Parts: sequence; structure tokens; C-alpha cells
Amino acid sequence: NSIVWSCVFQVSVINTVDTSHEDMIHDAQMDYYGTRLATCSSDRSVKIFDVKNGGQILVADLRGHEGPVWQVAWAHPMYGNILASCSYDRKVIIWKEENGTWDKMYEYTGHDSSVNSVCWGPYDFGLFLACGSSDGAISVLTCSGDGHWDIKKINNAHTIGCNAVSWAPAVVPGSLIEQPTGQKPNYIKRFVSGGCDNLVKLWKEEDGQWKEDQKLEAHSDWVRDVGWAPSIGLPTSTIASCSRDGRVFIWTCDDPAGNTWTAKLLHKFNDAVWHVSWSITGKILAVSGGDNKVTLWKESVDGQWACISDVNKGQGAVTSITDSQQNEQ
Amino acid sequence: MEKMTRVSGTVSGCTMFCHLDAPANAISVCRDATQVVVAGRNIFKIYGLEEDGFVERLNLRVGRKPSLNFSCADVMWHQMEENLLATAATNGAVVTWNLARPCRNKQEQLFTEHKRTVNKVCFHPTEVNMLLSGSQDGFMKCFDLRKKESVSTFSGQSESVRDVQFSIKDYFTFAASFENGNVQLWDIRRPDRYERMFTAHTGPVFCCDWHPEDRGWLATGGRDKMVKVWDMSTNRVKEIYCVQTIASVARVKWRPERRYHLATCSMMVDHNIYVWDVRRPFIPFATFEEHKDVTTGIVWRHQHDPYFLLSGSKDSTLYQHMFKDASRPVDRANPEGLCFGLFGDLAFAAKESLMSAPQSVGDVGRKTYPGGDRRYPIFFFKKPDVTEQFAQVSSALSVFESEAGSSVGMDWFINTAQSYLLSGKPFAELCEHNAQVAKRLNRPQESTTWTMLRIMFSEPANPSLSSNHNLNKSGNLPLVNSVAFDHKTFTFTLFLAARKSLQTVYEDVFLCAENEETEGSEGQAEYLFGDAELDDDDLYSMEHDNQAEEPEYLLPQEAFPLRHEIMDHPSAPEPVQEKPESPHVSGSEAESTCLTPMESFSLISVSQLLFSPHLPPKFFCPIVKEMLCYYAEQGDVQMAVSVLIVLGDRIRKEIDELTQEHWYMSYIDLLQRFELWNVSNEVIKLSTCGAIMCLNQTSTTLHINCSNCKRPMSNKGWICDRCHQCASVCAVCHHVVKGLFVWCQGCSHGGHLEHVMEWLKQSKHCPAGCGHLCEYT
Repeated sequence: NSIVWSCVFQVSVINTVDTSHEDMIHDAQMDYYGTRLATCSSDRSVKIFDVKNGGQILVADLRGHEGPVWQVAWAHPMYGNILASCSYDRKVIIWKEENGTWDKMYEYTGHDSSVNSVCWGPYDFGLFLACGSSDGAISVLTCSGDGHWDIKKINNAHTIGCNAVSWAPAVVPGSLIEQPTGQKPNYIKRFVSGGCDNLVKLWKEEDGQWKEDQKLEAHSDWVRDVGWAPSIGLPTSTIASCSRDGRVFIWTCDDPAGNTWTAKLLHKFNDAVWHVSWSITGKILAVSGGDNKVTLWKESVDGQWACISDVNKGQGAVTSITDSQQNEQ
Repeated sequence: MEKMTRVSGTVSGCTMFCHLDAPANAISVCRDATQVVVAGRNIFKIYGLEEDGFVERLNLRVGRKPSLNFSCADVMWHQMEENLLATAATNGAVVTWNLARPCRNKQEQLFTEHKRTVNKVCFHPTEVNMLLSGSQDGFMKCFDLRKKESVSTFSGQSESVRDVQFSIKDYFTFAASFENGNVQLWDIRRPDRYERMFTAHTGPVFCCDWHPEDRGWLATGGRDKMVKVWDMSTNRVKEIYCVQTIASVARVKWRPERRYHLATCSMMVDHNIYVWDVRRPFIPFATFEEHKDVTTGIVWRHQHDPYFLLSGSKDSTLYQHMFKDASRPVDRANPEGLCFGLFGDLAFAAKESLMSAPQSVGDVGRKTYPGGDRRYPIFFFKKPDVTEQFAQVSSALSVFESEAGSSVGMDWFINTAQSYLLSGKPFAELCEHNAQVAKRLNRPQESTTWTMLRIMFSEPANPSLSSNHNLNKSGNLPLVNSVAFDHKTFTFTLFLAARKSLQTVYEDVFLCAENEETEGSEGQAEYLFGDAELDDDDLYSMEHDNQAEEPEYLLPQEAFPLRHEIMDHPSAPEPVQEKPESPHVSGSEAESTCLTPMESFSLISVSQLLFSPHLPPKFFCPIVKEMLCYYAEQGDVQMAVSVLIVLGDRIRKEIDELTQEHWYMSYIDLLQRFELWNVSNEVIKLSTCGAIMCLNQTSTTLHINCSNCKRPMSNKGWICDRCHQCASVCAVCHHVVKGLFVWCQGCSHGGHLEHVMEWLKQSKHCPAGCGHLCEYT
């Protein structure tokens, strides 16, 4: 008698995509419709694969960066096929496909150090992008429609550097409860960032200015990734953050004003955790760690996060990886 | 060997820096790595390298008004004569300095043969008295320090010379790099022409450096932002490595004791010093980020020590960098990429060395699980390879597909969206259909929900009959609406239903009840549901009492004496009156609360008799609302919205507009992501929220032409503002079309749909007689 909650998930490898990247791949992102996969690598290239029906056809190889490309992000298709990439070369490049060919649409060079993360905001607000950089600043680029981009920069958002940015979904949490019926909720642009100061910070736009809204402290090492969960049918806000300290926290806010955030430790891994990624319904969280495994997590009835995939006992202990750079030195 | 051991003992220190009086242009260390000379336009000093800092030892810039000979573009400390230095002056002079001179002015020799700035001076590594210079004027000169003039002059026949370097292993060979991108190899005995020349870069080659061990290897750096490593030992010069840096390369220096490493710095924009592994040309192995302005000179402190790097900069500082303090870009880099795809698939990229573990392990990891016991978890785990090197890194990208039927996948969503019926049929049928769909898709929870909704909200066929207490005896009436229960218990069980997917039993119960009723059996049925919390396997035990013939309702425990009154007042049954606030008359409630703990039983009784048909649906609303919220909370807005649409007015007012709107928006968004445009459109059409309905109208533009003058109609009405005629006249009947107007986009003529259809059966030409072969799509 299986119960829905303990329903077992199974995922299998359908294919290993031959990317022919010449160096490490740092990010892989699927587009809105799940039909294309963009990858970026240290080899300075961004590649786009058509992954429809389990296939994998290279459709574009974007060259333009002069350093390792850390992250890519797809914009909502209502603005066309647009991809943003950020790189060690301090640049953010926005690529656009027109008539089957990809070209640079815009190049942003406003950072003084490696740009680590890019994320498109919810399409309801327009076409805009947040970029987090090692120079500690976060830029928000907004397309004004005529090919011109407005830049707003938050200097010193994270000391030593910002590693990740993620936008809040378009729905204002609490609007469903608080707002008097009939009144259209006033959307506030918000995003979350994680940095080398071990902090997770929330930002919101007020009168056209970006302000620090919240500072969430829990991690004891660099925050590597943050993910604001899609809000599907839920009036609460949920954020996942992961860190080099091996911990993954789930932050939730039920308070309509968005002021009280509570952290719940999802798990403490033995090694650094690099990525968190929400499923489109925001109910399942995929976590990838330095020990090179992916685990899937789901909140159970009692509010605890449970791993719906588990360690394979047969494979023995997890050996942690330390880059052999120490020896290399 | 002897040297090396000595080095490790003597060179020590930490990352440190000192302020210079002026920007540095070049630096050089003496052979024993204890002193460094800094030279620039306005500085020429020697610093001692102490354990914890730089100590100024000597200022070579003497005199009240130092001559331009002190304005240095380059400096080199002789590697054999520890008192000997050479500088290249911006005025074209080549100067040698002897620290052993007793007076303050240490200048020894002055060669003023170059016409323009000397960019580089270089002592021969083994021949004590040989000095080479390269100048902006395009010439290289070789000096014998015992003579007053140059011994030979080499004309590059190219442009300015940017760098000259004696080969470390070939006594007679030196390399020169030029502003036009060429690199030349010369034999010092043959000043007439170069031995070989090749184009190394597009644009100036700013620097070159011979590999300290590999005699044939020369590294060159250029304005084209590249560092190239050439193998000169073969007949044809071969490019063996190419590193692309972020900015133009001003200096390049091989790292001692590390065969594949070299350090670079840039001449503009970028102030950092990078150490590269040439085998991994994309990402620096290490960077030193201390300088605030352009780094102009870099030198490894000791020729056999790879851990100390000295640098001078335009920011007027001199640094000693410790390798252990370097920042490692790779550490900041994400070695993994992870993305949750739309269909629940996962794209996961990770370092190859980690992914492709020992073959057997990898295979096991891939094959055992998917095929094996479903209870076993997914897990993608590859054993790390500890022998991995910085240089050899690649990633493998895998796409993990969710297995059919698992909740990670989204197949259910698509199938459900396509199969659900939301309108067009009576309520009960819609529910039944959707229940079947859910069941077919192996979603018992949803299936049961639909079934329950049908039971709860179905309208009785004939309300007038419902008050007839002979109802149950008439037997052939559709009696659906007949669930009576203790409010709390029901809520509880309903939630169990929602949460625990044990609904098949539940469903059976209801189906059973319904069948019975429609079959016309006497219909007093009573169901006892086992407390779910007590028994996981068999949550609901059901007792079906079919015996009672009379309308009188009897409980096994004789617990509800009041219900006998129902018979006496059939038009106003007691339980109905009490609802929804307290579903039981006080007596029975007391009884039932007693019973529950005692018997470990909750009670749900089903009887058509107990209810008036009008009230129960309302009574269910709060529960249904909670259930919808529950589904939404679980991310299943599909269920929430589908139920919302099917129930329509029955539930709509219970849930506030914004919540509904949010559900609709979320659902429509999802549908559109899955490219289920038709379903999405249907949902938009069926929605009752204003904000949602108008979604269909936005961004829809109709371009119409006047059927008379064929010009675009600009105003909103149907009167053309040019010819002032009504544009919407039917070409067949010549009446103004009200309602559906169909027209040919080619000739702008059209008319009533049925008229045009009729017409097209006879002729393909336009009914207006314009001769156009109309196409209606």
C-alpha cells in the first residue's frame, strides 16, 4: 500500500550529450519549453543543443567570450530566443537568435571582475536580467525595447563577490491573503543573491532603486547557489540556498510583508554543494554537490525535507574530492 | 641539484609589498634571490628581500638632476656577476652599472648607439661580458662590456624590437620579437641575416621567453591577447600551445620547476598577474590580484623556486607574491551544472574525471537502478578519480529522464490536461469522465476526488420529490445526494482521502451507495469507516446494512433516537436544520463522540433520507475549498483549476478572486510551457476571472479592409471612413451582416457564413463578382 508521499521516483539516463566542449562545463540550462539545452564551458564557448525527443543536435556554438563562461540563462520566449551568458572575462553577453542565427544582442562590460551569475526576471515585468559578479556588485539590466539597456548597479552587494542570483516569481507572496479583493496586487521586483560573505540577501526595487530587503545568515562558507522556487498555487515564498559548507537551507516566508524568513536545514552534505534547482512546480529540489551526485528532495507532510533518492549502499563510502592543486603547487 | 636544495632552505618569506616613489617599469632579481632592482622613469632602486618585508638598499638615481639615462624602460641584473646591472633607457641609451664602484654614481658604461627607446636589455646567460639590446628603432645590438662600442648590430628589417632573449641552451642563439607580429631567431655570429623568422601573432609581439628546460620551447605574448608556445627544435616552427588571456600580454615568464606553467601580465585594462598551465588554455591556474594599476614587471624570485613571484607596477608598489596566497579561479568555478527540465528531466554536467569512474562502477550506477527495484532511489553517482590533474579536465553532460509514471516527470500533467473535460456536459458526467481519466493515469487520489465531487454536488433530478419521505421506497428515482455524517469525521476522512490516496476503498463505498440507491434498494445504508490512523492497510472498514426496510433509521448502537423524528417531520429533517454549524442534534453528537473513542470507529452514515437536496452542497464548500488549496499547495494547480471550472458557481464564491486568479495564471503558464495551447485557451475561456478572460483579447489584432474601396479600415466601426459605406455587407444577400462575418482576405469581400458556404459549393469565385478566386481558411 504505497502512499503518495513516499511514492518512489525513478530517473534514468537517457543520453549523455556529447558537447565536445574542450574544458569543464559550468552550467547547463534548458529553455522554457524544455526543447533546447544551453551549455557553457571554460573553453569560452556557449553551445546550444536541440534535445527534442531525446536527440541532441548542436544548433549553435556561440563564441564571443574571452574567458571561461560560468553561467547561461534563457529569457522567456515571448521576447524571442534570447540567451544571456556571463564570464570570467567580466562580460555579460546577451545573444539573440534571428532567422536561425545567433548574434550578440548586447554586451555588458560594467563589472570589474568575473561575472558569476545571470538570471532573467519574470517575464511579466519585462525583459531584464540580474548579474552577480566577483567584484561584489550586482547589476540589473533592463531592456527598454529599442535595443537600449538600462543599467542599475548595486555596489558592494556582497563583499568578496556575488556567486548567484535568482528572481522571485512574479506573484507577490501574501498578495493572495492580504490584498482586498478586486485590487490588482502591486508587483514588486525582488531577487535573492548569495555571496562569498556567506550571506543570502534579498533585494527589492523601491521607487526605481534597489534596496537590501533582508539578510539571511546561516551558512558558514561561501554561498554557491540560490534558487527562488516557482510559486505555483502557493502564497508562500521559498528559497533554497547551498554553500561550500555543505549545507542546503530552505528559507520560507509566510509573512505577507516578507520580513520574517525562517531557515530549515535540508541536509548537511560532506562536501561543498554547488547547485540547487527547482522543478517547475517548485515542489522538488535537485541538489548537486562536490561529490558529484545529484539528489532530489521533497517536502513531506510534516514539513520536513526528505531525500526521495538515496545513497546507493552498494557503492561504498563517498570519497570527497579535493582538487589536486595542492599537489600541483 | 645542489642549487635546488639550497634554495628551499634559503628562500622564504611571505606575501608582502612596499611602496615605491614612482611607477615601476621593470624589475629584476639578483642571482641569489636576495635583492631586487626596480627601474622606471623616475625610479632606480635596489631593495633587499627580507623575511617580512622589502628593505631599500640602494638608490641608484643620483645627482640633483638625473639625466635621461636614468629613465629606464628595462633593467636586468647579471646572473653571474652579482654587481652588474644593465638598463635600457627611454632616450635610447644602454647603461651598465657596477655596484662595486666605490662612489655614489654606479654607472659603468654608456652606449648611446640606439636612436630611439631601448625596449629590452639582456645579458648572456653564460658569457659574462655579452649584452644584447633591442630598440624601438628596429635594431638589436650586441655589446662586449670590455669594449666601448657594440660589437655587432642586427637589423630585423621589421618594425620596432619589443623583446630580445638569449637562448638558455643554445650559446649562439637569441630570439627577438617585433611590433609587426614577427619573431626572429638570430645567431650572434651572423649579424647579416636572421636564421629563421615566423609570424607569431597578429599585432605586436610584446614579449618572449625561452623555456628554462625545454631548449626548443619559446613562449611569446602579443597584443592579440594570446600566449603561444612554439617548438623551435623542428625544421618548421610549430605552435604547440596557445593560451588566450583576457587582455594584451605584456610579459611572459616561465615558472621555474613547473614545466607547463607560465606567468603573464597585461599592459592595459587588466592589473592581475596570471599563471597559466599551457595545457589548459582557458582558465588561469592561479591569479595574483594585488595590484591596483597595470603590472609592468614580473619575475620569479629564484630560478629554481616556483613559489615566489615578484612584481612591480604602475601603481608604485613592489610585491612579493606567495603562491599559496594566489587566488585560484578554478576554485570559484562551478564544476557542475544542474538544471531541472520542463518534463522533470535533469541535465547534469560534471567533471569527466569524476563522471567516468572505473568502468564497472559507472555501468553499475547507470544500469542497476533504472531497471531494478522501483523502490530504490535514483542516484547519479560517479566515483572520483583521484589522479585527476588541473590540466586535464573535461565535463560530461548527461540528461536524466524521469521514468514514466514517477512524480518527477510531467507526463501526467500533459495527459491529464489533454484528457480532462471541463465543460460541455452535465456536471456529473464531467466528474465521472475526469475521474476515469485520473484513474487511467494511475492517479487514484484525483480520481476519487472527482468521484466525491460528483456525489457531493450533483443536483437531485427532482427537488420536489426530495421532500417526499416515500422517496426511498419509490426506488427508481435518481438518488444521489445522500451523504450524512458527522462533520468532523467527514472532514477528517476527506483529508485523509486527499493525503493518503486510499481512495479506492472510499470510492467503492460511494459507488456502492449510489448503485444501491439508483437500483432502488431500500437505501438505508450505514457505513462505518475504520479510523484511518489506526489501521494503515485497511483504513475503512465498511459495514453495509441493507436490512432495514422501513424509512426509520437505526444505528447498531441505537445511538440516534432523535432520528426517528425524521419520520414525523419529513419536510424538515433534523440534521438538515442543524447544518452546517452543527450537523448533529446535540444528543446524537454526544453519542457519536462517545462512540468514536470507545469503538475506535468513526461514523459515516449514508442515507438519502437525512438530507434535503438544497443544503448539502453548500455544506461541502469549505471542505472542497480546503481541498483545492491543498492541491494547489502541492503544486497541482491543474486539479485546483479543473475542479474550479467544473464546479463553477458551486464553489467560485468560496475562494477569493486573487487566489483563483493566481491558480489560473499558474496553470495557464504551465500549459503554455508545455505548448498545450488549446487547453490553455479553453481554460482561459472557461475562467470566470476578468483578468484571465481578457488574456485572450490582448495582443490579438484584426486587420480589415473595406470591401468597397479595398483600403485598410482604420476606425473601429464598420463604416469605412474613406468611402463612407458599410463595409460589412454580405456579398450574397447584400444585407449588413450582424454576427459572424466571414471574408476573403484576398479581395476583402465576404458575408454571412452560411451564405458564403453555400456560394462556395457552386463557385470558387468571389460572390461579389470581383473575379477573385476566394480562399477561406
